[in-house]
Parts: sequence; structure tokens; C-alpha cells
Amino acid sequence: MKWFKRKPNMDNSAIRLDQRTLYALSALLLLSQLPHVMHLPIWVSMLGAGIVAVKLWVHHRASAVGHFILSPIGMSAIALGGAVLVRAHYGYFMGRDPCVAFLFILVSAKFAEVRKPSDSTLLLCLAGFLLLTQYFYSQSILSALITLPAVLALGNALAVIRDSSNAPSTKNNLRMVGKLLLQGAPLAALLFVVFPRLPGPLWSLPDDATAKTGLSDSMAPGSIGSLSRSDEVAFRVEFKGAPPPTNQRYWRGPVMSNFDGQRWTVQESAARVRVTGAGKPNTTHYTVMMQPNHQKWLFALDHPTSLPMSVAADTNDSRVLAQMTTDLQLKSDKSITRVTRYSQTSSLSDSFKPPVRPQASLTQLAGNNPKAVAFATKLRAESKTNTDYANALLDHFNKNNFHYTLQPTLLGDNPVDDFLFSTRNGFCEHYASAFVVLMRAAGIPSRVVTGYLGGEMNGNYMIVRQSDAHAWTEAFLNGKWVRFDPTGAVAPSRVDTNMAAALGDGEPVPMMARAGNGWLKRIKLGIDEMNHDWQRLVVDFNNESQYRIWEKLGLPRLKLWQITVLVLMITGLWCLVVLGFPLARGVNMSAEDRLWFRYTNLLKRFGIERASTETPHEFIERASLALPEVSAVQTLGQDLVTLRFKRLDESESKELGASIRHKLNGLYFRHLLKAR
Amino acid sequence: MNHSVQPISIDHAKQISDVLETLETILLGKRDQLEMSVACMLARGHLLIEDVPGTGKTTLAQALGVCMGLDWKRVQFTSDLLPADIVGVSVFNNQTQQFDFREGPAFTSVLLADEINRAPPKAQSALLEAMEERQISVDGATYPLPDEFFVIATQNPVEQLGAYPLPESQLDRFLVGISLGYPDPATERQLMQAGDRRASINNLQAVANKTQLQQWCLEADATHASDAIYDYIQALLLRSREGNSGLSSRAGLSLVRLSKSLAYIGGRDHVLPDDVQRAFPALAGHRLTGRVSSGKAAAMDILNSVPSP
Repeated sequence: MKWFKRKPNMDNSAIRLDQRTLYALSALLLLSQLPHVMHLPIWVSMLGAGIVAVKLWVHHRASAVGHFILSPIGMSAIALGGAVLVRAHYGYFMGRDPCVAFLFILVSAKFAEVRKPSDSTLLLCLAGFLLLTQYFYSQSILSALITLPAVLALGNALAVIRDSSNAPSTKNNLRMVGKLLLQGAPLAALLFVVFPRLPGPLWSLPDDATAKTGLSDSMAPGSIGSLSRSDEVAFRVEFKGAPPPTNQRYWRGPVMSNFDGQRWTVQESAARVRVTGAGKPNTTHYTVMMQPNHQKWLFALDHPTSLPMSVAADTNDSRVLAQMTTDLQLKSDKSITRVTRYSQTSSLSDSFKPPVRPQASLTQLAGNNPKAVAFATKLRAESKTNTDYANALLDHFNKNNFHYTLQPTLLGDNPVDDFLFSTRNGFCEHYASAFVVLMRAAGIPSRVVTGYLGGEMNGNYMIVRQSDAHAWTEAFLNGKWVRFDPTGAVAPSRVDTNMAAALGDGEPVPMMARAGNGWLKRIKLGIDEMNHDWQRLVVDFNNESQYRIWEKLGLPRLKLWQITVLVLMITGLWCLVVLGFPLARGVNMSAEDRLWFRYTNLLKRFGIERASTETPHEFIERASLALPEVSAVQTLGQDLVTLRFKRLDESESKELGASIRHKLNGLYFRHLLKAR
Repeated sequence: MNHSVQPISIDHAKQISDVLETLETILLGKRDQLEMSVACMLARGHLLIEDVPGTGKTTLAQALGVCMGLDWKRVQFTSDLLPADIVGVSVFNNQTQQFDFREGPAFTSVLLADEINRAPPKAQSALLEAMEERQISVDGATYPLPDEFFVIATQNPVEQLGAYPLPESQLDRFLVGISLGYPDPATERQLMQAGDRRASINNLQAVANKTQLQQWCLEADATHASDAIYDYIQALLLRSREGNSGLSSRAGLSLVRLSKSLAYIGGRDHVLPDDVQRAFPALAGHRLTGRVSSGKAAAMDILNSVPSP
């Protein structure tokens, strides 16, 4: 406990950083805070910017209040208060968001009390770290670009704190930093391609309790409708071969078997099936890049015939990402918290043989929908078979003035009755729910399947958005699960084209889901394609991709030590190229100029460096003043001036050149002796 | 100091330094500008002086003329100046029933064109033709000017109202732009104590003559400039062209000649980069920005960004 021994009233000037350093650090801090503004609460950003403002204010106008705020006590209070506020804001502390927010506040607080050069260095490291945490959120091109100004500011700050009283102008600093970055870029690219990739991230991010997007484990009237208003990307798909036709793009997700009268939920069952994908008709292979949705379902075209295998795995044998349940859901043990890439196989058909017989619970009805039950009983009696009955139901939806809309009328306590017999308008979940209720009322096992229907090709890949969210049904007929999409009976264009085509005018269709090709949509699709390539080629670049490049070049797989040696050699060569560029200028010189060049280089070893605009005369004079004991410096210099600028005939110039070379060697020898 | 510097002919070095010393007795503490003026004369260029009145421009012109053994005249440029006021006019002679040409003040060796930017463009261009061609055309007849014809034009950097600033194309015809500037305090005191210098100018003896001047011009032009020097000059020209207004090829040629003259005055038979560096601001300043004062900084910027050979 030594702190109380410190002089309580330190000299104010000790707290004042010099202006250049302060400005450079302020710029750095603000620029590294900038990328976080998007995802941190606004008050955190305001606090960060506020601390910078106070620091600058105190620098220009000494103020007791300001000094107190910036004192270690004030900053401790801010840090502590920040921690409490962050905890209060998020409701938990050990997660990505609160931790980044807290780091943000701590780095700002550290900036407030920077006084010594060593503090500045520490702040540079912290700012760099803060900048890195930005990649926890997004690794898109934009997020890489937005860090660039901060990287430049970082370089500038480094250059300034190295010698703040004598630092070159910011413009020159930035030019230097830019040059260094450009010089380093080829090396970075080389390491990227050649050096072994670290398997997976070094840390694993805690699973935040962030808002989950996408389909969930329950469905109530309106839940898919509200999801459909978002044009966020759910996942992207690359097909091996042609993509399936539009009306086959059923992406199977959570399957809902339990119904409580209002809400459909997923049946919790531990049962897993073994997958034998062989011999299925109409098989298609593809790779899905799923956006993190903090849920556990992986999506596959109906119906999946393989388990999702991670493609970004760093080992040869890829990892199985999820298990298949008896109702053909692909369910992972962990939530999807980062972009996940998996290869998948599906058989495109609207029916499949179940791995197990359907449970009795699949005909259970809950809630009070007497009219629906009565209607079902009557209609079943009129139909010959279950299949006829199902088709009669679809026919009923088709012919009785049902209406497909994103803004359905609210339903009362008997939602299915209300929907079927009075409101008659709804979104896909209304139709799916009503259809399953009617089927179950007739004693046919059936269930709701949620997922996505559709997908838009963008270049060579497909984008599936939240607006493509859909619900359809499956009924167990003749020993097979058969897909029925009652929405298709009402609005066939929902299945054949997309949601926007099926909905009337005035519906709140999100911009990217709309038909047509507005310029904004085109641009957004273009950007999406760029980001997709970025993700595929850069972010997901792994050992496998490296080996593939090696193979394409016809090179054998190298061992780690071989790669290390190779990289070191190439790095060395590159450094030679970059650093030796000024030396290489000598290649194009005339014989006389080369001698002069040798002379100036030699004097550099004696500690006398020639400024580039210094004339030979000035330089020689300066050098002979600095080295009066070495008379050769002056005589050599004058010989060189004579050689280079006087009118000499060939033999004279040859003779003089030879004598200069001789003297240069002597001087060089002398330098070597001196170095000893 | 420098053993490689060997005067080619002791004669001319001695004579030129005599000229400069004589001039220095009239214009105190202006060695640099005087050397530049003489170099400009040897390079057969014309001199532009940008200065406020009363800094010795007229004295310089007069002293140069007298020292070199040349005659000199002065024209005050005003807004109503006509070309005829400079080059001369044809007058009808009643007796011979013919037009006689009466030579204007331009028919001289050293012409001081005072406040050249006060005259309208027409009058300016009459002078500029004379400068470039060393001849004068009036009413279809051409009258040659003396070989050593040398114009010293001055312009006032402060006064802008009612002035006709010289366009770039015409500024290019002045080889050198300098400014004499105020003398330092010690010199100024000396000046005031010595009183009017008109008398001393009148007592000035010619130190050289026309023939010598012509000889010097030829010798200065024969000064050796090595490839390295030409490379350097080209690099300077290239760098100047990266900016808004670059230097013309004529400026490049002038730079070579001025550097040679400076080397010659320095008693050398070869040009050193130092000569180029000295010549460049005087030559490039007014060409780059149209003003000697502001152009000098621009010229120094260029000079400081091109490596010396």
C-alpha cells in the first residue's frame, strides 16, 4: 500500500501530454471506437467520445472539475459505474456484448489518464485489441474496411510517440504508414496462403442471450408472418449442379407435432436415426452457409438424406454438425453462433418412408374447435380414401374465398374455427395449422413443418431470407409421410414464384423480397455477392483450401518446418527487395555516378549521411569538416566532382576513375580497420 | 577551398569580379542579386525585378549600364503608355517629303522598364517583341537592336489596382526574376550617411566594354555542363510539371544558360549542381506563380524534392 505516499498534488504540467501525442491518440481512440458504434448501446459510445472530449478540453483549458474527472479516482469511478451499467443494460456480464462494452469503457478510461510515453504505448496495444474485438461481430468486407482508418491512426500515433517533439507532419506519417502497409501486404498474403492456419478460433465466444432470429421451436398465428417482414439473410447455398426448381425449394426446419389449441411446438425426443442416403431418387448436393441465428436447427432441402458435415473443418475428416431426429429435423447440440458452413445432401421428393412408425400423439387434438371437427367428420365421410380427403381439404381452401395475406384478422379463443369459418384470411401458418387440425380430426397422423420456401439465385449461389419463412404440413398416408402445402392451394404463386407475387398490393413485403429489380436491390445483391465471396475465399480459408492451392500448383504437401523455412526465405527476399530498392538504383547509374554513390555510402558508414538535395560541393565540405583527420575525404570528393562535372576526354576520365577507385578502396579499408 | 575549381582564364574572372565590386560600391550588400543580374546579362536574358519603389532598381540599371560601358534609358510605364512611346514613331518630314523614323527609348543597350505591369497589354507586347527578337518593327520596317540589348523590367508587388499583370507566356521571356528587397539595418545606415548616390554613379567609370561583354557571353555559353547536370535539370522540369503550372522547355534551356553563366562568373569552366540550385529559384519563381516573392517558395519546394546529382 504505497499509494498514499505519493505526493498528493502533482504538478499539473506532468499531466499534460504534448499536443501532437494527445491529438494522435485522440484520433486513434475515436477511430477505433467507431466500428463499435453500430452494435454497442448508444450510451457506451457517448461515454467513450465524452471522455475524449473532456481530455481535450482539460488540455486546452485547465479546470479543476476536468482534472478531477481525469484523475485515477474519477476514472475508477467511471470504470466501476460502467461495469454496473453494462450489467444492468444486458442483464448478464459474461458474454460477448457486455465484455466488449466494458473493454470499450476501460480503454477510454485508460486514455483519460495517459501521461507518460509508456502509457501511450500501452494505449496503442489496447486500442488495437479493441479494434480486433470488432471482428467478433462481423467479418465482412465492410467491417474490414472500417478498421482501416484506425490502423492508419495507429501507425500515425506510433510514429508520433516515438519522438513527439520532433515528429514529421501527419501527412508524411500517414504516407509512411500507408507505404509500410503496402509493403507488408504481399507478406501478409503469402502467410495467408502458405502458413498453416490455426484450427478454429483460439477462443470460443460465450453464447449470448442475444435476440434470436429466425424460426424457433414454436409457432403461433402471426409468428411466421412477423418473421417474413425481415429481409435479413437466413442462409446462402451453393449447389453442385443445377439448383432445384422454385416449387421444390422447401427448406426443412423445426417440425411441430404438439398442439395446445393455440400454439404448435416441437416434440422433444431424444430419438436419433441413422442415415442411409443411398439409393434415393432425385438427389442433390449442396453447401449451406448459415448465418448465426442462436438456434439449434440446421436447414436442408426436403428431405435430407445425409447429416450436415462441416466444410470449414480443419482436419481431413469433417465433423458432423447435427443429428437427424425421427421427424427428419437436423438438430445440433449447440446454438449456431457464428457463420456455419456445411455440406448436405437431399432427395427432392414430396414424400418419404418414415424411419419409425408415427406415434399416436400425432392424431391428438387440443383446444376447442367444434366446428372444424364437425366439418372434418362430414368431409371424411364423403371422401373415399384419406388421400381423397386431403385433396378435398385443399380444394376447400381453394374454392371458398380464402385469402393469403401478411396482415390477417386477429383470431379469438377458437383460432381454427374462427379462421376456417369466419375470417378466412391468413398467412401460411394459419393454413398449415388449420390443415393439420382438420387432418387430425379425421384421424390421420399429421404435423406442421416450418422452414423456408424459396430462395433467390444471386450469381452462382442462392440467398434464402427470413422473408422466405414458411410453414407447411405432412400427413401420414399409405405408409409414407406426404407433404401438403395448403398455402399453395390458396396462393399457388407463393410456391411457384415467391411471397411477394402471392401477396396483393399494400402488403408490408420487405424491400429485398419484392419482385422486380430496383437499382437499390441490384446494388444490395451485388454487395451480397461480394461479401459471399469474401466469406468463402477469405474468412473460410483453411488448411484444406491451402492444400488445394498446393495441389493445383503441383507441389507436394510440405511439413511445418519446411513451410517455416520457405516463408522465412521469401520474407528475407522481400525485405531485400523493399529495403534494397534504393540500392538497386545504382544499377542504372553511369560509371561516374556509381563511384559517387560508393563514396556517399562509405561516408554514411563514417556517420555522415548525405541529404538527397545536398550538392556534392556542400556535402564534401561538410564531410571534410566532420572528418578533418581523413584527408582522403576531401581529395576524393574533389576528384569525384572533377570526374563528374568537368570536361574530360576519355583517357583522362579513365585515369581519374581508376585513381578514385583506388582511393575509395583505401578509405573502405580504413573504415574496416576503424570498425575493428 | 576547392581545388577542383580552376579558373579557365584569370583575365575574365578578375574582370568580372571587378565589375561586381564596382557595382557593389553603388548597391551595398546586394552581391547575390548583382551576380544574378550579371549572369542574366551574360546568358542574354532579361531581368525582372519585383520590388517596392525606392530599393535601387533604377540605380542598378544605371550602374550596370555604366560599368559595362553601355548606354541606358528608362521608360516609366503608365496606363496611357503607347507602343510608339517605347519603340519610336515615324514622323513626316516636310523638307524631304518622307516619313522619318524617330527611335524610341528602346534603342539602347540597357533599358529600364519601370512598373511594367502598369501599362496596357499593347504597350507591354511592343516591349516583349523587342526583348524576344532583339529588333523592332514599325510601319513595315524592321530596325535591329544592339546585340547586347538588355531589359530590366520592374513591377510593384503591392499595387494591384489598375495594373495589368503580365501573363505567363510573357513572364517566360524574363530569364531571371529577383527582388532587391530592403537593405539590412547596417547597410541602410551606411546608405543614409553616405547621402545621395547619384553623384557617385555619375563618377562611375566603365570597367568593361561591349567587345568584352560579347566575348564573355560566348565564353559563358561554352561552359561545360555534364550529363549529370542535364539529368538534374530535366528532373527539376519534370517535377515542376506535376504541379499546376509547369516550366516550359524554354525555361529548361534558360536554366542551362543561367547555370553556365553563374559557373562562368564563379570562375569555373564547368557547371556544378550548386549553380543549378542557385539559378533555379531566380529562374522558376516568377514563372511558377507569376510573382517573384511567392514563386520563390514554390521553386524551393521543387528544389527540395529533387535529389541533387
